Amino acid sequence: MALEATHSAGSDYVIRKPLVTPRVRRWIVSVLLAAVCCIWIYPLVWMVSASFKTNAAIFASEGLIPSEPVIDNYLRAWNEANIGAYFFNTLFVTVGSVLLVTIATAMMGYVLGRRKFLGRGFIFGLLVFTMFVPQGYTIIPVFELLSMLGLGQSLWGVMLATTGGSFVIFVLLFAGYFSQMPDELEEAAKMDGVGFVRTFWYVMLPLSKPIIVTVIVMQTLYAWNDFLLPLVVTLANPAIRTLSVGVYAFKGENFVDWGGMTAASTITIVPVVVLFLFLQRYFIDGLAGAVKG
Amino acid sequence: MPGLSLKGVTKAYGATKVIHGVDIEIDKGEFCVFVGPSGCGKSTLLRMIAGLEEISGGDVFINDQRVNEVDPSHRGVAMVFQTYALYPHMSVEQNMGFGLRMNGRPKAEVAKRVEDAAKILQIEELLDRKPRQLSGGQRQRVAIGRAIVRDPQVFLFDEPLSNLDAELRVATRLEIAKLHRQLGGATMIYVTHDQVEAMTLATKIVVLRQGIVEQVGAPMELYSNPANLFVAGFIGSPKMNFLEVSPGADGALQFKDGRSINVTGKANNIATVGVRADQLRAAPLDAAALTGEVSVVERLGDAEFVYVRTGWGQEIVVRFEGGADIPVGSEVGFNLSGRTHFFDTDGAAIDGLTVASH
Repeated sequence: MALEATHSAGSDYVIRKPLVTPRVRRWIVSVLLAAVCCIWIYPLVWMVSASFKTNAAIFASEGLIPSEPVIDNYLRAWNEANIGAYFFNTLFVTVGSVLLVTIATAMMGYVLGRRKFLGRGFIFGLLVFTMFVPQGYTIIPVFELLSMLGLGQSLWGVMLATTGGSFVIFVLLFAGYFSQMPDELEEAAKMDGVGFVRTFWYVMLPLSKPIIVTVIVMQTLYAWNDFLLPLVVTLANPAIRTLSVGVYAFKGENFVDWGGMTAASTITIVPVVVLFLFLQRYFIDGLAGAVKG
Repeated sequence: MPGLSLKGVTKAYGATKVIHGVDIEIDKGEFCVFVGPSGCGKSTLLRMIAGLEEISGGDVFINDQRVNEVDPSHRGVAMVFQTYALYPHMSVEQNMGFGLRMNGRPKAEVAKRVEDAAKILQIEELLDRKPRQLSGGQRQRVAIGRAIVRDPQVFLFDEPLSNLDAELRVATRLEIAKLHRQLGGATMIYVTHDQVEAMTLATKIVVLRQGIVEQVGAPMELYSNPANLFVAGFIGSPKMNFLEVSPGADGALQFKDGRSINVTGKANNIATVGVRADQLRAAPLDAAALTGEVSVVERLGDAEFVYVRTGWGQEIVVRFEGGADIPVGSEVGFNLSGRTHFFDTDGAAIDGLTVASH
């Protein structure tokens, strides 16, 4: 029946020509995207540009390319403002929290994604609920927790507190990914006499590489850039400040050193940009995989 | 000596019973095929033997030992999954040796066993490859290799050929038959919905329907003496023709169009006559037990399957020799010759009857 229908329609079927050829269409899309990209990237370019200007030149509206580029801002930021020390604080906090978060969320996601147990739905609900609590509300209790643990004044405390940021999202990412894995893989391991923990470690975890990379990149970005939490935790102890907090110190009571601040900011984002350049393929794959899920 | 036996095995998911008391004895070295339509419980049964599915009732014995609560890896069974279930990130060699390595076998022994299995399956040159670099047939071999390496008493195959294309399926079917002989003494249990696989591979076929064993027997026994309508219709290709009959005059059996056949033997309660495509012979229209109009002809080369629409609108299939060239639309008549099957109102086969004349 269907065959007949298409057949009779074939006689008076008109081929409609597109308004623009695919080639022109690609051009239009590219130009539009380029325009959006320019707007998007402007603040970043402004920041880098300002870091090469003197404080006076920044507000002289001379355009993005500095007429007399200076590197004083960078020297000042690195030497006087302790950015060098903050850099290593941030590195410690980031690496530590990435390690902790990746291992902990993968394990939690595996159990939540693949095991059916009493209260699983409740735990899922609780996790999702916490995503709706703004970070600002939890900072004081987190600080109190750290103080009780005796970590209120140490980098370990900052690191531990930083692991909490996107923990839930990562658990959900892992849970979603693991829940899609074919049961046969686990069953094959079971037939091979491989236990629960080792099945996770040798079979399932290596297969979740896209998610692992996503989590590493996202947690790195988060830990590197987090501001509010390290600000509060390090309030009383400038020596353990992270970069984002250190940059804020350029804002004095009566005077803001814009040149120094933008230079410090640029130093801050360079590692992250480099990381992204190297890992962007995995990062995009991971997110795409997680969404396709 | 039974290699494996199931005694009153049942399976229920909550209140839904899917296996209703299955009793099967499988001798050592036998190639036993569980066959049935999808949802008949054959895979569930296999997974219960493997230990991947809990046994709700009854007992499973492997080598006369009750294994209901025994861990899958300690039952002496190895399983080949439908989707192969190879570990994607490991090489073929690692895949095959994974279980042994994880159980702390010495490296040399693992290597030796993997090598031996690879030799049997002729996949030695694939050992360094990852599963994604293999074709479907090669993956299948690796999956079988992973089972061989464990040196099990019982091999379990869960529809291992259903992901292969038609040509490869036939080739691999042969390989598995050879493998069974090569591994002499290994008991194999094989699940499939394809009766051709069952017929060609099995030394014993178990036909299942809705969690009940319909019949157990050697392939030709099931083909020649099906116990009921279901088995008769399931085993053999093309499907057996079932013709409804009613008692006619003088104990004859009357078809829906009034034509009749006579049966020798006690012919009570016959509701259906079953006849295979190759047991119908062309006959002149006025002397034929069955007549109809040819609707479709399938030419297979060595044979032609002619589909004939009877007077009451049922389509029956008849086998002709290749080159018979029956024209579509022509009126043809047939007689029942050779083996004819009779079934009562409940669908059970009635033995000891033959077609006399008509």
